[in-house]
Amino acid sequence: MSLTADEAQLLSAVNTPNSDAAKISRGLDMFVVAILFFAIIAAFHIHFMLTVGDWDFWVDWKDRMYWVTLTPMLLIFIPAALSYPFMQKFGLPISGTLCALCLAIGEWISRYFGFHLWTYFPFSMVWPAIVIPSLMIMDLILLLSRNLFITSIFGGSAVAFAFAPTNWPILAPYHIPVVHMDQLVNVADMIGYSFTRTATPEYLRFIERGTLRTFGGESTIISTFFSAFVCMILYFVWWKIGEWLTNLGTIPNVLKEYVGLGDDKNDK
Amino acid sequence: MAVTQNEVVQPQAIKPWKFNLKPMIIGMIILIGIFGLARWYQQWAAWDYGLDATDPMFDVYWMQVFWGEIIIEVILFFTFVGYLWMTRDKHLNNLSPRVELTRLMLWISMLVVYAFAFYFAGSFYAEQDATWHQTVVRDTSFTPSHIFLFYMSMPVFIILGFSLFFYAITRLPFFARKISVSLVIVVCGPFMLLPTVGYNEWGHAFWLMEEYFTVPLHWGFVFFGWTIIALSGVLIQVMKYMIELLPQVTNSKGELTS
Repeated sequence: MSLTADEAQLLSAVNTPNSDAAKISRGLDMFVVAILFFAIIAAFHIHFMLTVGDWDFWVDWKDRMYWVTLTPMLLIFIPAALSYPFMQKFGLPISGTLCALCLAIGEWISRYFGFHLWTYFPFSMVWPAIVIPSLMIMDLILLLSRNLFITSIFGGSAVAFAFAPTNWPILAPYHIPVVHMDQLVNVADMIGYSFTRTATPEYLRFIERGTLRTFGGESTIISTFFSAFVCMILYFVWWKIGEWLTNLGTIPNVLKEYVGLGDDKNDK
Repeated sequence: MAVTQNEVVQPQAIKPWKFNLKPMIIGMIILIGIFGLARWYQQWAAWDYGLDATDPMFDVYWMQVFWGEIIIEVILFFTFVGYLWMTRDKHLNNLSPRVELTRLMLWISMLVVYAFAFYFAGSFYAEQDATWHQTVVRDTSFTPSHIFLFYMSMPVFIILGFSLFFYAITRLPFFARKISVSLVIVVCGPFMLLPTVGYNEWGHAFWLMEEYFTVPLHWGFVFFGWTIIALSGVLIQVMKYMIELLPQVTNSKGELTS
């Protein structure tokens, strides 16, 4: 691909150390980084909290059915959508890692100032799920393959496959059984029972109504496998949504006469 | 008066490039001040006066804040948008590339402030709303968390978003010639988070009394939150335009020429 004269001049200008063009270019980069940082925290966090937030807020909600199944599915929406502009426009397969990092920052600030300082819940009850490894692997597949289909299948599924294993080391101690008032519960349920939440549903939710035990009876693997299947599709769909939202183009401005652009030749 | 040769050939001094970061820094400080003060007020007044909407003290400490912020926000919205329209540049066809570049960089720096305001609404105060409603109380549409989430944080980024939109179409030829659909979505999508409060309150009033955060009546916020993805489109449009604009004001050594 050959450069136009203007593009060649610009390339030379911004590559000249300490030149005005280089300063302007780096300044623009810094603004873009700051904009993306705050906007991704906001967009990803509001999406995440209102689709799988309940499982993410409370340790006793972190079950092996809904939490393991739904969280990776909803986790992939925004990173997949932003993979398109980051990869196709800038050659940067960093969308997943950036989104995961932004989500973690937004969640921890909220858990500290909201859940801990305002309503006095311990961190052991309100820690957010660990999502950085899952989305880093998604980025890694995109980096290595540079291909939408391969990343959908292997990167999308990796988000689900990595989710339960990366969270298990922190969750496992909460699943130790204890006897409370002659009832067998686990530590997470005990914590949930001890700290009152007046407006949530009953603290012991009925889950896993089914009795069939496939895959050797390991429910977490079944949830992960189903989630991985959906993640493959969702990655592709949301990449396309990202592509559409990035390339929306322009429409005529009926007010331009009021700013002196009525007969502007650029419109023709 | 006679014009001397000296005056004609005297080259005009080129002003060195300097980013105008003052508006961005002042904007960020104001936002930190507003949101920090609101968070402090919640800590001070929510537990003592915000637990019962029928308590007369609730009117004093919370509803007065609500009405005060609503009045200020409406005034600020029309002041900012009205000012930007009334003082618009009526000769954008004659705008020099250097002035356009300066304005474009100022506008982008203010996008940082917009994104910062959106962070408080979409992340900080939004999730804080969960802990209050799930674990303390939700007895009215105007709770101590809602008064600062729906009726302060959201209007703040709406005011900033519309102000940025009007700045763009009145001072930047790139956005004034044709309207960027991505920019419209980036401004109007998050704006729709506020009307979606109607769906939320309707759902809680007639349908679901328990506070799940993942119920469908909250998904309106999710849908309109997605619209911020269009920000990538705005930034790419700006960067592409910079590829055209920058060579008009710099030479191949990167020095300013105008």
